[in-house]
Amino acid sequence: MAVQSWSGTLKSSRKTALLQDGKRKIHYLFTDGQEMVEEYDLETDELIVRKWRQKSKIGGQGQWQVEVGEQLASPVPSLDSSMIKENCSNPVFTRKDTKSSFQWRVRNLPYPKDVFVVSAEPSERCIIIKTTNKKYYKKFSIPDLERSQLPYDGSALGFTHANNTLIVSYKKPKEILTLEQELLKELKKLKATGEGDVDCKTQ
Amino acid sequence: MATTKVPEVRDIMRIERIGAHSHIRGLGLDDALEPRQVSQGMVGQLASRRAAGVILEMIKDGQIAGRAVLIAGQPGTGKTAIAMGIAQSLGSDTPFTALAGSEIFSLEMSKTEALSQAFRKAIGVRIKEETEIIEGEVVEIQIDRPATGTGAKVGKLTLKTTEMETIYDLGNKMIESLSKEKVQAGDVITIDKATGKISKLGRSFTRARDYDAMGAQTQFVQCPEGELQKRKEVVHTVSLHEIDVINSRTQGFLALFSGDTGEIKSEVREQINAKVCEWREEGKAEIIPGVLFIDEVHMLDMECFSFLNRALESDLSPVLIMATNRGITRIRGTNYQSPHGIPIDLLDRLLIIATSPYTEKETRQILKIRCEEEDVELSEEAHTVLTRIGMETSLRYAIQLISTAGLVCRKRKGTEVQVDDIKRVYSLFLDEARSSQYMKEYQDSFLFNETQTASMDTS
Repeated sequence: MAVQSWSGTLKSSRKTALLQDGKRKIHYLFTDGQEMVEEYDLETDELIVRKWRQKSKIGGQGQWQVEVGEQLASPVPSLDSSMIKENCSNPVFTRKDTKSSFQWRVRNLPYPKDVFVVSAEPSERCIIIKTTNKKYYKKFSIPDLERSQLPYDGSALGFTHANNTLIVSYKKPKEILTLEQELLKELKKLKATGEGDVDCKTQ
Repeated sequence: MATTKVPEVRDIMRIERIGAHSHIRGLGLDDALEPRQVSQGMVGQLASRRAAGVILEMIKDGQIAGRAVLIAGQPGTGKTAIAMGIAQSLGSDTPFTALAGSEIFSLEMSKTEALSQAFRKAIGVRIKEETEIIEGEVVEIQIDRPATGTGAKVGKLTLKTTEMETIYDLGNKMIESLSKEKVQAGDVITIDKATGKISKLGRSFTRARDYDAMGAQTQFVQCPEGELQKRKEVVHTVSLHEIDVINSRTQGFLALFSGDTGEIKSEVREQINAKVCEWREEGKAEIIPGVLFIDEVHMLDMECFSFLNRALESDLSPVLIMATNRGITRIRGTNYQSPHGIPIDLLDRLLIIATSPYTEKETRQILKIRCEEEDVELSEEAHTVLTRIGMETSLRYAIQLISTAGLVCRKRKGTEVQVDDIKRVYSLFLDEARSSQYMKEYQDSFLFNETQTASMDTS
């Protein structure tokens, strides 16, 4: 089934592993030229970062698209600082998974809990966060479910609100849990190079 | 409250400098390709403009990719003007690259590399790409100028959809383009996040009032729904050269900004050609052959000409327009004489358009147009005098006198340039003929004259 096809893609990709700063960093290169980087905590085996990069159509190197974890602010003020960017007081949307569930955090939302409406839309294959005061709206899909083509389930969804932060969580389905465990086992078998700069063969 | 008068800060829009051909807006032809005597900044040269019009139609139909045109004529007869006219009437979507023949001689790059780059800059590829856009209704736009009057402006823009609201920080460039587009609260706009391009979609329905005064073209639109930021497919045109640079591995795309692209390997080019042809067959991209204009083409040497011979036969080749003011002269890099300094085998592939000297009436018209362009008022007599000068010396010299005479006139606080102003600048600045005359008379008193007896060879 679809779960198999995704795990097959993962298996066929070329992988490089690296242990650094208490993290296990893995670089995947897929056959279609896409790149993926994952970082796991060495102690808890939790996924900290997952990001993607793809060549742009005319051949340029694309930007990293962060799927899990926080977008790193670029060290140099970027070229487009003279253009437009979100004010820092706006809500910030990040994904941070736990072992048993997918979890999203939206910071900078200083509204009471009953303002928020979070719903799963199985037909559109997405989750929608709405606010009754019309201040925030977000429509997002769960890439893990998309890749394995699993259905969305409204009952797996829940949310809490504390410290100006909205936390939305979605229980991982069985299939995902087994897949992740298998993958982790596989990754631990990879010979990881130690500290320092390494030649990344897959890059 | 203290009512100190705040000095009004005017935003100065980019003022375009006045170039020698800034008055040209097209070829000045009607729908039947018949040239109008005076139109779009063009005067006279009816036959050559008509010929250029025919070429233009063929370019638009995409028919003469890979062919070449030569515009030949005496100095100051409007060769560059005709090329500019073609560029203007092609519009911004067709790539137009202009270079002078001597530009390709560089120590960092071989001549043929410079020529291939110019060729590839003149071929556009129209391609679909996904970009991030922001689409919403403007709730508030706030621009703060620093109290001192200098320094960077800061701004905030609040946008909303029916579901959400976001505040954006604006950079300098963004503020400028927002004020240029005259964006105000209640407008529905889209912003391309990568390029910063703003387009106004219309006014929001919720802001419609009965007695608002507004132009007839104002459109009312619904406030957008859903999220503010969306991914959308847009079509844009890149030149083959840009794709080359991005893909030449050693340099990376940063080379585009630094401008130092060095030589690009021919393998890279071949790969890209193959890729582009593949895209075209799949319907993902469209190739737009543009125009490459080489001015002063007699400055090219024999190697360049033989390169051109071959390059014109490639199927990915733009329309080549060349201009020269030479008659029969030596081909650079050889000892052979040839018409226009171009070898016969290349000449054979060219369509040649000739320009002829302007008549007195036409000169008068051109001077009038230039006066308008440079914002100088000319009295009737001064105009006649200037036309005489233009006929007797050269058109370029007469055009030079316009702005200088304008300055002299302004210094004496006049509003209209009189004959005296023209006379004054005529005596201040020598034209080419008078300068040569002066040289002949005072040759003996110039430096280094004692060792040199024969006149200098200036070819």
